[in-house]
Amino acid sequence: MSIHFILVLNRQGKTRLAKWFNNNYTLQDKQRFVSEIHRLISSRDSRHQSNFVEYQSNKLVYRRYAGLYFISSIDLIDSELSYLESLHFLVEILDVYFNNVCELDMVFNFYKLYNIVDEIYLGGEIQEISKQKILDRLAYLDKLD
Amino acid sequence: MKGLTQFIVDLRNSKDLQEENKRINLEINNIQTKFSSNLNGYQKKKYVCKLIYIYLLGYIDAIDFGLKETFELLNSSAYSEKQLGYVALSVLVNNDKAKQTTKDYLNSSLSLVHQNLIKDLQSNNEDFNCLALQFIGSNFNISESSTVRVEESDEDSAKWLELIDIVYSFVTSPIQKPLTKKKASLALYSLLKLYPQVLLSNSNWIPRLLTLVDDKDYGVAISCIPLLHYIVRLKPQFVKSIIPAISLRLYSIVIENKCPEEYYYYKSPVPWLVVKLLQLIEHFFLLTDANDFSVLSIATLDEQTLNNFRSVVAKSIQNASHPVKGLPNRNSQSSILFQAVSLAVFLDASADAINGAINALMMLLDSNETNTRYLALDALIKLTARSNTNCLTMTDRFDVNLPKIFHLLHDKDISVRRKSLDLLYTICNPSSYNTIISKLLDYFPFSDFTLKSELGIKIAILAERFATDFTWYVTTMLKLLSIGGGSNSNGISYISNEVWERIVQIVVNNESLQKMTCKLVINLLKKPFSASTHASTQPPPTGVSENLIKVAAFVLGEFGEQVSSTEGFHISLQFRLLYDAYFKVSLTTRAMLLTTFLKFLVKFPDEDFVPDIVDLYEIEALSIDLEIQTRSHEYLGLVTSQSNFKLANSVVKPLPAFVQKESHLVNRIGSVSQIVGVNRSKSLLVLAKNINSTSKGESTTRSNTLDDDDEEDDSNPFGDEKKAPTTLSPNWYSGYHRMLHYDAGIFYEDQLIKITYRVLKEAFNIVLKFTIINNSAKTTGTDISGFTVLDLESLTGNQDPNYVLNIKQLPDPTIHDKSTMEIGIKVRNVIENHESPILSLSFMCGGSFNSLNLKFPVLLLKTLSSTVLTGIDEFNKRWQQIGDLLGVKEGECSVKVSITHRYNSSNISRLLTRLGFAVVHSTTDDDVNEILVFGAGILHTQKTNYGVLTTIRSVDQIGKEFEIKVRCSGGGVADVICSTLKEIFEGKF
Repeated sequence: MSIHFILVLNRQGKTRLAKWFNNNYTLQDKQRFVSEIHRLISSRDSRHQSNFVEYQSNKLVYRRYAGLYFISSIDLIDSELSYLESLHFLVEILDVYFNNVCELDMVFNFYKLYNIVDEIYLGGEIQEISKQKILDRLAYLDKLD
Repeated sequence: MKGLTQFIVDLRNSKDLQEENKRINLEINNIQTKFSSNLNGYQKKKYVCKLIYIYLLGYIDAIDFGLKETFELLNSSAYSEKQLGYVALSVLVNNDKAKQTTKDYLNSSLSLVHQNLIKDLQSNNEDFNCLALQFIGSNFNISESSTVRVEESDEDSAKWLELIDIVYSFVTSPIQKPLTKKKASLALYSLLKLYPQVLLSNSNWIPRLLTLVDDKDYGVAISCIPLLHYIVRLKPQFVKSIIPAISLRLYSIVIENKCPEEYYYYKSPVPWLVVKLLQLIEHFFLLTDANDFSVLSIATLDEQTLNNFRSVVAKSIQNASHPVKGLPNRNSQSSILFQAVSLAVFLDASADAINGAINALMMLLDSNETNTRYLALDALIKLTARSNTNCLTMTDRFDVNLPKIFHLLHDKDISVRRKSLDLLYTICNPSSYNTIISKLLDYFPFSDFTLKSELGIKIAILAERFATDFTWYVTTMLKLLSIGGGSNSNGISYISNEVWERIVQIVVNNESLQKMTCKLVINLLKKPFSASTHASTQPPPTGVSENLIKVAAFVLGEFGEQVSSTEGFHISLQFRLLYDAYFKVSLTTRAMLLTTFLKFLVKFPDEDFVPDIVDLYEIEALSIDLEIQTRSHEYLGLVTSQSNFKLANSVVKPLPAFVQKESHLVNRIGSVSQIVGVNRSKSLLVLAKNINSTSKGESTTRSNTLDDDDEEDDSNPFGDEKKAPTTLSPNWYSGYHRMLHYDAGIFYEDQLIKITYRVLKEAFNIVLKFTIINNSAKTTGTDISGFTVLDLESLTGNQDPNYVLNIKQLPDPTIHDKSTMEIGIKVRNVIENHESPILSLSFMCGGSFNSLNLKFPVLLLKTLSSTVLTGIDEFNKRWQQIGDLLGVKEGECSVKVSITHRYNSSNISRLLTRLGFAVVHSTTDDDVNEILVFGAGILHTQKTNYGVLTTIRSVDQIGKEFEIKVRCSGGGVADVICSTLKEIFEGKF
């Protein structure tokens, strides 16, 4: 019942965010996953194909927002829609936090993304599901020295 | 951080990789220089950030410095610096396969940050606590399936333990905020996965952790689910104690719509929590213990809990029929719908309900949305795989709906194609296997390369599982090998070796199959199957089927002579067919063929193909392939050294039957085994019955049950340890003893809580009504919360238990004033006196956590009802009868009791009446010399009833010492009653 990693890739395959929750993965695994997943997902047709695809022994749920793929890798027994909507939840948080988020926000603030993810997920599990609480918390943390 | 932004802009403006490289090298030099000078916090942050960015761009080897500065940030008292320090560590420190194992990696990261983590966890600053908890939760987390474990004997185990202790105290502390609690419970979950022994050695932790399920904060509620799931997997006996709380929570959200405004996601109240809770219950139903028994079934749930679940599931399904606007709403609603459907099967839904669900899902297969088709297939797989009971009705449905599923094998999305294959695999049954398998064979040439191997294995398993006739089985399998002969671009065959090996095993072990298989193989070599006769488009060419040649090499070499006399199957023809294939096949297959030819040569030394074989050996003895060369050389030696082939003959002796216990195929059926979870009805293979080989004179037995993989096998990684006896709470005995005597009274009382009871008896059915009264309400005005029945541990055997308990009504988790609980007891057989159950309760009161383990009497004597005897004469007659029937040893028991205070005749009569005896005779209280009371009654068990008679006679002059005699019409039962009576009188163990 968990997310193994969350990836945000652009269409060229550049990583905009990689949050690895599963520490069994080695550096080499991570590099291989990113390139294989980009190849797999960018070749899929968004109109006639689902947002789910099996990869390795997990399944990927993903959605494209403008030029970015938001992808999370979940266990085979997990609910696809629930985690797909969770990605949307993440996107909405980013959108409010960055005030109309775009790819460049994620490039220039790459180090802040980890803090945002850490308020929504932890250890691959969903930690908080109230948008307001997360945004309040992020605003509070930004004010700290 | 302006410098950082500028750096990123520079890199983005680089014209090519070379320029980027140059810019990065420049920056690395710059950072190294800066690090050797004195930097303020802001500068440190900026340069460490640049390092992270360079690292993330892939310049991993360039970053071999900066750890010192990272730790300076970590040690800073400014939040933003500390935070960045943690980020830097988690990005820059990685599990490197070349350098270490995962366990070494985790241990080394712990050593690196241990001090910082402890310091931040012990800090008074909550935000620092949170940073440390987040780091633990993220960086020490391993997947649930991982086998990495910290052991007590490990060098670093003390450090892990120290962390676990602190994190545990965060989780259970009553003063921590929800924010810290949710992070702590996820951090604890990560740590316990790594070091589960801690939980097993501290079993008193478990009840405290289980109270998290009741936490009012929804963030804590969703965060604690993985931890709860993990605990129950380690200790399945706790499953029952948390289910009621989960059902209440679901009920309040889904049915009563109780959800704080900030937890609504668009129009849905906490959809993620609802899905997670439903899924948790689904997992509990799938969980099996060490003996493969389900740990949870609806029979063990109380009525209210079960009804709550049923209403929640019904409401969720009903909600989904109302159209909603907007993708987030639709997705939330559907995610709950599909999760509810997966759970519905376990809640004993009626056949109609299941059929209804199947019909609705079948409709969804026509949806235009690919996601919906995919999810509907997934739900159908779960539904059909898990409902054994209604297989027949479902078959009818599926025969109508099969074409629809076949159609989806050609869907545009491979995810859908894969799911429809899995669905066909799970619905295949004795009436549909023929259609399904032949459809899948037709589909094989058109299927995706990545699906082919899985498809081949599934066909092979289904064919073996449902085979009713040998010809059909062998033909099907050979057809599979023929059409699946090709290989992918890496030269790996689509059909894995296990498939052809399996056919060979089955043929070797079944004498009756051998001739027929030889003929079929020969015919196939003469004229291959055309892959599909009625396919509309031309399938890709399949090439030579290696696998078929392998089977032929084996089968003809072993059994070819059996058909040699038949027209058209002569051995020289067999040889010609294989010889023609020789140069078209791979080296492995050639090596096999060389052996086949040796068998031919030895068995038929006068045939005209002998020179061809010898020539071949001579040529191949020069082969550059070591295996081919060796075989040819050795075989050449064998056939030329002796003219009678004496040695060669002993080399090619017939094969003994295979003894391999199970097919390896099932390990490779892909993801469907995980999704299905539970075993389908275990269908013994028809073929297996014949496989016990008689022909070879081998007595080895072979069982070929093809079970679905049971993924829950390792639900308890530590096996079933011997259960330590539960320690009872102090002062438990007075309530226990009171309950022996009286049918109503106080069961337990302390400052916080009082429990009273009433016993209602009806033959062998006993109902205990407990009332739990909040004592603290009077004194401090606090509510009792999280009141949980942790366990109701029956100490009677599991197999054919002497009595059965079920909780008819659970108390409310929150007790303001009082709440009731009902336990039903069914006495099935004679209960021994040491078999009484233990009721384990836990509750929170004013921030303190309390638990109680109380034993209550479930005794045979409690089923006693009075019987009317006409008088002392009849009593004596019956007394005599029992003695005649069973003898004194079996039928009678007597015991001396001494009591602390005096009893007279009427005291004893009243006591016996209270227990359920009819008092047949009693001396009067005036008679000071002797007290003598006769009682009679009937004991009830589900199996039979027993008559019981007792006499109680004083043996001293003051009424403090008595002799109790009991006779009972059941052998040995008198002993049980006698010792119960002794305990009632004396009040001791």
